[in-house]
Amino acid sequence: MEDRLDDLPALFKDSHSAHCKRCLMGLPSSSTDLDASRLVVIFYCINALDLLGLLSEKTTKADREAWRDWIWRRHTFGVYGSGFKPSSYMSIEHPSESYKGYDTPHLIMTYTALLSLAVLRDDFSKLDRKGLINFLRSCQKEDGSFSTIPNGGETDLRTLYCAFVISMMLDDWSGIDIPRAISFIKKCRTHEGGYGQFPLCEAHGGTTYIAVASLYLVPNELKAIPEIMSALEREETIRWLIQNQEPSGGFRGRTGKEADACYCFWCGAALQILGAKDLVNVTGLARFLGRCQFKYGGFSKAPGEHAGTYKLHPTVLLVPFISYG
Amino acid sequence: MEPTLEPLLFADRPHWADVIPQAQYEDGDPVAPIFYTEEYKDATDYFRGIVKIGEQSQRVLELTESIIRQNPAHYTAWQYRYETLLAINAPLDVELRLMDELAIKFMKTYQVWHHRQLLVVLTRKPQAELAFITRALSGEDQKNYHTWSYRQWLLSYFNDEEELWSGELDFVDEMLTRDVRNNSAWHHRFFVVWASGVREGEEDRERIVRRELIYVKQNISFAPNNFAAWNYLRGMLTHLKMPFSTVIDFVKLYTVPFDPSRTDIVDLENPPPSKQAHLPCVHAIEFLADIHEREGGQSGIEQAVELWRQLVKEDTMRKP
Repeated sequence: MEDRLDDLPALFKDSHSAHCKRCLMGLPSSSTDLDASRLVVIFYCINALDLLGLLSEKTTKADREAWRDWIWRRHTFGVYGSGFKPSSYMSIEHPSESYKGYDTPHLIMTYTALLSLAVLRDDFSKLDRKGLINFLRSCQKEDGSFSTIPNGGETDLRTLYCAFVISMMLDDWSGIDIPRAISFIKKCRTHEGGYGQFPLCEAHGGTTYIAVASLYLVPNELKAIPEIMSALEREETIRWLIQNQEPSGGFRGRTGKEADACYCFWCGAALQILGAKDLVNVTGLARFLGRCQFKYGGFSKAPGEHAGTYKLHPTVLLVPFISYG
Repeated sequence: MEPTLEPLLFADRPHWADVIPQAQYEDGDPVAPIFYTEEYKDATDYFRGIVKIGEQSQRVLELTESIIRQNPAHYTAWQYRYETLLAINAPLDVELRLMDELAIKFMKTYQVWHHRQLLVVLTRKPQAELAFITRALSGEDQKNYHTWSYRQWLLSYFNDEEELWSGELDFVDEMLTRDVRNNSAWHHRFFVVWASGVREGEEDRERIVRRELIYVKQNISFAPNNFAAWNYLRGMLTHLKMPFSTVIDFVKLYTVPFDPSRTDIVDLENPPPSKQAHLPCVHAIEFLADIHEREGGQSGIEQAVELWRQLVKEDTMRKP
């Protein structure tokens, strides 16, 4: 079967970029539940604009500088080290002083802040690298996992991945107890070959990407055990991921669930890291995503459903995957 | 609608008059600002005011509840609420009953479940929690990830309490009776039987292996095109280091079109597919190919390749 890509639905690049710009201007009150994670939305929008190749064309230099400044104003330091806060939602004064107990940096937000700044081509001269390493240390728990905030918050594989990406970006892994972290990842592996969000939990597309990508990011010389995933385990993981591509062309996140646009990225990217991208039916995938597009910008989880930014980002990440497939 | 005895805004409530509300400080142009409702802005102004003076009191529970109902992902409100509960020695059972309502309402929010977990570590009453989860999963969302994860955490955290585990297989059975394709339930079964250690009364592993083989094969015979059940079978054999070929006779029954001349005999070891089954079943073909591939040698590989070719025709998503 030959993959034919020339008759695929067009990517609504202009609508998607307009959608991202609208979100950066402001969000409706129905998005109040994003108050404590605004940096994530900002990252999704900026990165999607960049991936669409429209960041410099559709936004002004002044816009981009204002965004960078705003992100840097979320940079904060204190007893647990340095990192970024999600937004100004707890701020009552100029953030020149160190944070108190309820205004600490947040691990996922720190990850998205650094990526956003990288997309905005920041030179990171303001970054407190030592403080950031200390922050990672404050977030790692006994079992190797990481908590979202140093003095509380939930722990699971998502935060571990953020800590790994930050270490990779800093090219400094001294903030992480790697053997402990890897042992936590391994405990999340399930009988299906995927990884759950927490030890003993069901295999999930998002966390399987996170587990596979995290293991891939650790430099070889720092892996205490040479073989983190056996050949058989690798094969089982690939099998489970591929099994998640359903007849509609989209990927599901769990066995027996419906296909969803964002899992097309999570499962697809995990397969790419495992060197099994060739097994994906790319045409079917592209057709599914084409049908998830909303003409005013954004993607829905499945054709015909309500669109949103949270789905737009992982979906746009797939654009290079499909175009150069 | 709930009765509103109090004014909507904290600014209008007399017993909040002594608190100085603190507006959110935004220097320069904000990026992606949220156009808050008046009610949310008011509650968070008072929350920042309370956090500033470090007050931990009964009324803080009223305030944080209001914020959480408007934004269940406000992790700072959750964190402050938890610390306040401890500081004023509030009855945690009452808090858990409120959480029963909020967990169902905001089932997909991380913080709801995290807070609950923190409370149960203190109350140490896991039994009531199992009953709550069973209720929660009997609603619309029978595969809710957080709810199942919470059950798995609860059981493994209170691992030593034997009676806690006693109803788990019946619970799984009940969930699978409702939907035999519910992979969360199959996963839970794997967790209970294989992944969480050997419990009292289950020491005879050979008996358990037989019981589980019969269980999964029977369920496959009812609904052969069920990824979840096939994955359970594969996972179980891998976990036990038993060769896939152990079940070759069973698998073969599902790799061929339905045989109308078949006589119905009850065979617990190898229950055949029902007459309505869509055959051949792609999972079985894949399974048989894996058996031959693992057996190796020229004939093994050739048979596997032949089956993979057949799979390309049967499974339209698969590429050659």
